[in-house]
Amino acid sequence: MTKAKSRAATSHKHVEEEGVSAGDRWIRVSREHLVATLRALQAEGYKSLLFMSAVDHLATPVRPSPPERFELIYQLRNLDTREELRVRVWVPEDDPVAPTASEIYAPAGWDERETWDMFGIRFDGHKDLVRILMPEDWEGHPLRRDFPVGGETVDFSEDHEVWQTAPEEA
Amino acid sequence: MSSSPTGVTISREPAEGHVGGELLTVNFGPQHPSTHGVLRLVVILDGEVIRGVRPVIGYLHTGIEKQMEALRWQQGVVVTDRHDYLSPLHNNLAYAMAVERLVGVEPPPRAQALRVIMCELTRISSHCLWLGTSSLELGAMSMFMYCLRERETVLAMNEEISGYRMHTSYIRPGGVMADATERFWDMLADFVEKMPGHVDEYEDLLTNNPIWKRRTVGIGYLSAEDAVRLGASGPMVRGSGLPWDLRKTMPYSGYEKYDFEIAVEEAGDCYARYLCRIKEFRESVRILKQAMASIPDGPINVDERKMLPPPREELETSMEAVIHHFKLFTEGYSVPSGDVYAAVESPRGEHGCYVVSDGTHKPRRVKFRSASFVNLQALEHMAMGSMIADMIAIIGTADTVLGDVDR
Amino acid sequence: MGIDALAETLGDNVLTTTIGKIVGWGRANSVWPAQFGLACCAIEMMHTAGPGFDIGRFGSEAMRASPRQSDLMIVAGRVSQKMAPVLRQIYDQMPEPKWVISMGACASTGGIFNNYAILQGVDKVVPVDVYVPGCPPRPEDLLNALMILQERIKAQGIKPRV
Repeated sequence: MTKAKSRAATSHKHVEEEGVSAGDRWIRVSREHLVATLRALQAEGYKSLLFMSAVDHLATPVRPSPPERFELIYQLRNLDTREELRVRVWVPEDDPVAPTASEIYAPAGWDERETWDMFGIRFDGHKDLVRILMPEDWEGHPLRRDFPVGGETVDFSEDHEVWQTAPEEA
Repeated sequence: MSSSPTGVTISREPAEGHVGGELLTVNFGPQHPSTHGVLRLVVILDGEVIRGVRPVIGYLHTGIEKQMEALRWQQGVVVTDRHDYLSPLHNNLAYAMAVERLVGVEPPPRAQALRVIMCELTRISSHCLWLGTSSLELGAMSMFMYCLRERETVLAMNEEISGYRMHTSYIRPGGVMADATERFWDMLADFVEKMPGHVDEYEDLLTNNPIWKRRTVGIGYLSAEDAVRLGASGPMVRGSGLPWDLRKTMPYSGYEKYDFEIAVEEAGDCYARYLCRIKEFRESVRILKQAMASIPDGPINVDERKMLPPPREELETSMEAVIHHFKLFTEGYSVPSGDVYAAVESPRGEHGCYVVSDGTHKPRRVKFRSASFVNLQALEHMAMGSMIADMIAIIGTADTVLGDVDR
Repeated sequence: MGIDALAETLGDNVLTTTIGKIVGWGRANSVWPAQFGLACCAIEMMHTAGPGFDIGRFGSEAMRASPRQSDLMIVAGRVSQKMAPVLRQIYDQMPEPKWVISMGACASTGGIFNNYAILQGVDKVVPVDVYVPGCPPRPEDLLNALMILQERIKAQGIKPRV
C-alpha cells in the first residue's frame, strides 16, 4: 500500500519544496524551471507521464489563502524502479500560462488540451491548443471552481442551491 | 496548405509514397457503428491509404469530474460506475483505494479478496464484449452471440451479489457493499468450471481463422518503445512485448497473493493484442479459482463508523449508532487534506484516480487517468500508412470506451 | 364467374380489414432500430439483441447502421451538449414514419448527471414516444418499451402523426 520510497530525483537543483502525501512523493518547482526539471527527470528514468492536470485552489473558508489559484500536477513513473513522483507547479490566476510539456512527454499533448478546455490555462509552445471535450464555441472553463455545476433546478433537493451556483458561493 | 474548420491541415504536396491525385478528407463518426460509441475521426486519405487521423472526442463528455466535486465522498462511487461503463468495478476500486489511502484505513482481507473476484469477473465480461463487438465489425457475426452468452452469466452474478446487472457500486471506500451469498459461490464455481471451455471455443472460431488473421496480423503495428513513449497501457503495451501489468508490477488489493502470469505477446499488431486478451481470460479464471479457494473469513468493511453505516441490528439498540447513521447520510464524512493517486489495471490499461481533498466532506478535485484517453492518442501512430478498412481493426483492438475517453 | 360464385369459391380464405389496421400490423412487427449507441445503455441494448433476450422475437433484430433505413431511434445513453446537434441530424435523416425510445434515466431526464455537460432530457431535441426508466434499464424493460410502442403503432395505422 505504501509507496513512500524516497530516493533520487529530489536531489535536483530546482526543487523548491518536497513532501509525501498519503504515501505519494511529490516535489514542487517554479514555472520557469518546469521544462528543465521534467527533462532532467526523464533522463533520470521517469519515462512515463501517467497524467497531467490542474487543481483549482480557489479560496474557501476552510483554506482561505492558497499561494496561487491554480496548481499543475504531473504524475511521473519510473518503469524500472517502479517509483512514482508528482511534480507540482503553481500558476497564478491573472497569468494562467505554463510552458508545454508535450515536447517531452507525448501524452501531455491531449492532457494539456484538456487542461486548457477545463481550466483555461494556456500552454506556451503547444502546437494545437484547442478545446478537446467541450464544443468549440463553448464559453467558460467548466472545471474552474467558480463555474456552476449547472443542469436544472431540482425541487426539494438539499443540494439544489449548491448545484446552481459555484461550489464556493453556496 | 489549407486549413479546415476542424483544425485539420490538408497538404496538397505529394507525400512520400504518394499514390497520386489529391488527398481526401473523410469524416468518420461520431455515429458510425464501428467506432465503439461516439468517436469521431477526421481521416486524410490518399486513395485508400491513411495519411492522417485526427480523433475528435468529447461527444460523450459527461462532466463526471465536476459532478464528483458536487457530491459527498460516499456518493461519488455511484458516478465512478458510469465513467468507464465496461469496467465499473475497476473504477470503483481506484476511487475507493484513493479515498482509503487519504483516510488511512485498509480494508479487511475478505473485502480485498471479494474485490479481486469482482474485478476479475468484470475483466472477463469486458473482454467478452470487446471480443464480441470487435469480431462482429470484422465480419465474425456468431462471435457476438457466443461472447454475450458468457457476459450474461457474469451480469447475473453481479446481480446476485449486488442487486444490479451493470453499475453495481459494489466496491466502496472502506470495503464492499455486501457479502457474497451461497448462490453466488455456486454460480462462480460453475462459471470457472465452464469458462476455459468457452475460451477454447472462441479460439477455435478465431485464432486460426484465415479471414480473422488476414484482417489482424501485421495491422496496426505499435513497437514497445512507441507504446511507452505514447503512454499506452494494458493490452496495448503488453501486445507489444512489454510485460507491464499493475496487478503484478505494483500489486494492490492483495494481487500479490495470487499465482498468475502477465499476458504478453511480442508482435505488436492487432492479432497480438487479440491473443493477449485471450490469455487474460485464462489468467483471470486462474485468479478466480485461487481467490475462491483461499477467501478468508471475517468482516467485509473497515470498523470505522465515520465512513460506513453501522449494521442494521445496532441501530435498534445503540443511540450512538443512530447518530453515526444520521451524520453519515446527512453530512457525509470528511477526509483529511492531501492528494493521492491510486491506479488499478482495468481491462483497458491503467485506470487511475487522483483525488485532492481540502478536508471537507466533498472532494476538491477528482481526476481520472483513463486508459482509453491515453491509448486513443496512439491511434494516429498505429493507423498511419494502413488502409482505411484496417482502421476498424485498429480501433477495435485498441478497445477504447468513449465514456472513459470523454468522462 | 359472377361475384357470388367468386365469394363462394374463396369461402373462408379471405379476411377483410382496413388499410390502417393492416399497415399498422405490418409496421409494428418490423420496427428496425437505428444502430446508435451512446453510453452504458447501449451495452444493455446489445444484450437485448443478444442471445439471452433476442429482440428478434419482436421483429426488431435488424439494427441498421444507416438512419435512412431505420424506423426507430433508441437513444441509449446520456446525450451531451456536443452530441445533441448530431442526434437531431440523425433523427432528421430517418424517413417517416419514425419513432423514438428514450432509454434510461440519462436520456429521459439527465439522470444523475444534472450538470453543464449533459442535455437534461432528449425530449428537448427530438419527440419521444416511450421513456424507459433505469440506469441502465434491464433488457426486459427495453423489450417492454418496444411492445408498448408496437401497440401504439398498431393504433396509429396510416394516420399521420400529430
